[in-house]
Amino acid sequence: MLISEIDVVSPSSLNEALKILDIQGQKAKVIAGGTDAAVRMKEGKWLPEKWVNINGLKELRYIIEKDGAIHIGPLTRHTDIVRSRLLKEKADVLTEASREVGAAQMQNMGTIGGNIGTASPAGDTIPALYVLNAVIEISSLNGKRLIPIEEFFIGPGRTVLKQNEIITNIIIQPQDENEIGIFQKLGPRKAQSISIVNVAISLIMGSDRQCLGGKIAFGSVGPTIIRAKKCESILKLSPLTDEAIQNIAKVAWKEVMPISDVRASAEYRRDMASSLLERGLYRLMRRWENK
Amino acid sequence: MKDIINNNQSLKWVGKRVQRIDGPKKVTGELKYMTDYHFENMVWGKVLRSKYPYARIKSINTEKAEQLDGVVCVLTHKDIPGFNGFGIVVPDQPVLCSNIVRCTGDAVALVAAETEEIAELAINLIEVDYEPLDPVTDPEKAMTESAPSLHPDGNIHSHVAIKNGDIDQAFAEADIIVENTFYSPRQMHAFIETEGGWGVMDDDGFITIRCPGQYAYRDRMQIARALAYNPERIRVISSPLGGAFGGKDEITVQIYLALLAMNTNGRPVKIHLSREESVIAGIKRHPFKVHMKTAAKKDGTLIANQVRAVADTGAYASLGGAVIALAIEHACGPYKIPNIDLDGYCVYTNNGIAGAFRGFGVNQVCMGIETHMDMIAEKLEIDPIELRKKNVYHQGEVSSVGHVVKSSVGTFKTLETAENCDLWVNREKYKADVSEPWKKRGVALATSFHGIGMGIGLPDYGAATVELLKDGTFLVAVGCEEIGGGNGTAYAQVAAEILNCDINKIQVVQGDTSLTMDSGTVTASRSTYTGGRAVAAAAPNMVNLLRKTAAEILKVLITEVSLAENCLIANDTTLSYESIYQYLYEHHEDTKVEGHFILPKEKTEIEGSGGAPHHLYGYLTHVVMVEVDTLTGETDVLRVVSIPDAGKVINPQGLEGQTEGGAIMGIGYTLYEDVLIENGYHKTRNFTDYIIPTIRETPFIETFPVEDAPEQSGPFGAKGIGEVVMIPIIPAIMSAIYDATGARIKHLPATPERIFNALKEIKKTKIHTSR
Repeated sequence: MLISEIDVVSPSSLNEALKILDIQGQKAKVIAGGTDAAVRMKEGKWLPEKWVNINGLKELRYIIEKDGAIHIGPLTRHTDIVRSRLLKEKADVLTEASREVGAAQMQNMGTIGGNIGTASPAGDTIPALYVLNAVIEISSLNGKRLIPIEEFFIGPGRTVLKQNEIITNIIIQPQDENEIGIFQKLGPRKAQSISIVNVAISLIMGSDRQCLGGKIAFGSVGPTIIRAKKCESILKLSPLTDEAIQNIAKVAWKEVMPISDVRASAEYRRDMASSLLERGLYRLMRRWENK
Repeated sequence: MKDIINNNQSLKWVGKRVQRIDGPKKVTGELKYMTDYHFENMVWGKVLRSKYPYARIKSINTEKAEQLDGVVCVLTHKDIPGFNGFGIVVPDQPVLCSNIVRCTGDAVALVAAETEEIAELAINLIEVDYEPLDPVTDPEKAMTESAPSLHPDGNIHSHVAIKNGDIDQAFAEADIIVENTFYSPRQMHAFIETEGGWGVMDDDGFITIRCPGQYAYRDRMQIARALAYNPERIRVISSPLGGAFGGKDEITVQIYLALLAMNTNGRPVKIHLSREESVIAGIKRHPFKVHMKTAAKKDGTLIANQVRAVADTGAYASLGGAVIALAIEHACGPYKIPNIDLDGYCVYTNNGIAGAFRGFGVNQVCMGIETHMDMIAEKLEIDPIELRKKNVYHQGEVSSVGHVVKSSVGTFKTLETAENCDLWVNREKYKADVSEPWKKRGVALATSFHGIGMGIGLPDYGAATVELLKDGTFLVAVGCEEIGGGNGTAYAQVAAEILNCDINKIQVVQGDTSLTMDSGTVTASRSTYTGGRAVAAAAPNMVNLLRKTAAEILKVLITEVSLAENCLIANDTTLSYESIYQYLYEHHEDTKVEGHFILPKEKTEIEGSGGAPHHLYGYLTHVVMVEVDTLTGETDVLRVVSIPDAGKVINPQGLEGQTEGGAIMGIGYTLYEDVLIENGYHKTRNFTDYIIPTIRETPFIETFPVEDAPEQSGPFGAKGIGEVVMIPIIPAIMSAIYDATGARIKHLPATPERIFNALKEIKKTKIHTSR
């Protein structure tokens, strides 16, 4: 298949898109912002007979609060998320994560649905969605199904999404007044880099530095995003003093199973899981105290 | 000329912040780079690269590729009419490999086709039967007897050595000795415009190559040699460029373009490498291993330096021999060390190809000597600036390599300026001002120098023409290309100054064998100095022509004609440039003048040095502040002070362009950049994993030129600065990291992982000692 031979269809509605996918089967592939798909096409990895271009489907681009949940359309750009006041107030960890995705150009084009669908273990928005208890709505001509994000990924680049399905909604739980979140990323440089390790943290705080519960999700340290459940369980043991933070952070390296690649060694990634958790908790406590 | 140099107050253009003449077109995107062009009836060229880093070619079968619809031609080594090789010094790189491939960048065949896709398909249809061989990837092993010989004369391409005094006795008498091994990365030029261009042959057999380069006349000779073709029947257009930094000094795709152009029935052929192909096939900076041992007396006087430097030049020499020679010439810094023992080896391996890159070997040794200066200063408890001041050579003194330095030397003055700059004076205050408790700041400085122009043994000259045009403007033509440094603006300033006209009346053309004379390379920090000096030689001839013609027109003595602003005046009569042109045109007289310049050289070559010393050097001191995140090892360069001695500054804005760009490139080299190759295969594929600094890694940079040492031989007292601007910042950052954290990183780049691991080691040692 040559790139010049690939057909592009741009359906005018979600329903039309689903119909095309249903008819074309394996021959078709969905393209949204194209920040991953176009690269893979150039590399010769993704060469479908037909691109189903859903980039212009306005019905899939929204951020709304409804019945105690926040709904984010899959075609919402990272830039939309960064600029959303609602998310800044009630899902700050996602705001921060979206700001760290690639470069400004990629944030303008790339979509949150695409970031989820690509299923990179280093994807920046995914750990944030983990700690916000995201549920992914998937649609096909046969109907809809709802999948909690922790069950959505099978491995690097692999998800439960079937060929005839499209992600149609991302539902997250808004943070309460006493919930605060943070996203920490370590890349080879500050801008335009792929994460060596990243972590999203969301905590429910009581008085002072007492934590009532929380979620911690690491990226780029395993085949999928990894929840640091041991760390989570000891968050509540004592107030989050500097010393307590150090102790929790030390546990983190036991929860991850990274690999070595051209960006970093496995050992450094392990160390960084602890360092980023430590740095993130310090910074969160400072913010909490200034709130 | 002398009068102008000595009367700087009256200068109108030189020394002023003149906007770049090519600036607006570049920032608006109006300028088309050569690889932006498309022609009707064009075809696409592609290069088949080697599948293995080292292999024997048993056969090449192009039949299937030739039969593919849309393929115009398929070429192999058999189709090369002339000499199958290129290389600036030693033409050891095959244009198209015939029996052996020595790196994965090696070219094996060429294709021209109707579309880029068809060309790519055709490339994949060429069947090459290889017998893979074990690649030689470690330069040290490559130098041993047991390693297979990659070239007929063995794997040591060149060995240079300089020895002075009695090194053994000096070490025996030393109060302090520091000894370390330093490793430096394979930096990529990372220009935005990858290698590419156009070739076309007209009905008369005249070949035009449009391809970004750094010396059109030499590119033309290399093309002519491979084609066995009269160079006068080849035109090379080499400017403008979307970046070069040395990476387009050697032949890139010019010969491929010419070969294809001879086989496309007059249709223009384009090649433009993808970033991935550029990473593999383009030349890189030589990774070095530098072992250095430096000795001093208690009072800080340097008495000995021993250096063994090994440069990995990859599969072919290109300028590797010259790089190691320049490295050794500069290995002792701008100091006077009486006893030295310097050895440099340039070694062949199967690791890609290394060649020219801004700094040309000096970067790799500067990190050694300057780190040693700081280590000695610390151990002897001497201020690092005092230690340097004590040991620098001054004009008229003997350098470490043993020659009397006759040209201007600004090191001492740059150190004085560093000592008095805000960052250094208030460093303790700035260091205490960390943003978070686990962050640590450090401030350090380093100094270096860099030869200007070619070394001994290489002819070095400049030439320029100035032509009066019909519309009353002047066309200044210089062979030296505009590769981003802003030399064209400097040429316009020099011309406007001498012609006493507005800079808008000057047009500059560069890098075109049909329109400009041979003025040498745009390398070796030489093009502003040399080209500027050539313009300064040509412009007075234009002044004479203008005055002589005015005298003829007005029938007065030439002495009665004065060169007024934008016109000529005699006896209250004003003559415009247009009227002078008109007169010359009507009388069939030439309106173009020439100017030539030979660079001053040292007379005696230091034995075994491969071309040292240079007559001229530029000098520079950097002061930097870094902040290290001790939790992750991430380092931020927060502030840079760049203090160049470039002689008289022709354009402060242009100088800042160099000092700022150079500082950022130096930051990239020290903290981020390395093209990783394992077993001869590139692990780094493109800019996803080749990390260059962005605006977020760009610090606050100040530039304080030291101007009281004008260089008499240069245009208005200027000398070159294009390379040293990125050099001392490298050890300065390394020492600032040490100042902040106590970790000495001797293996660059100082990635977060390397710094974090060094900090971990320090912690372990502390725990052990406390037990």
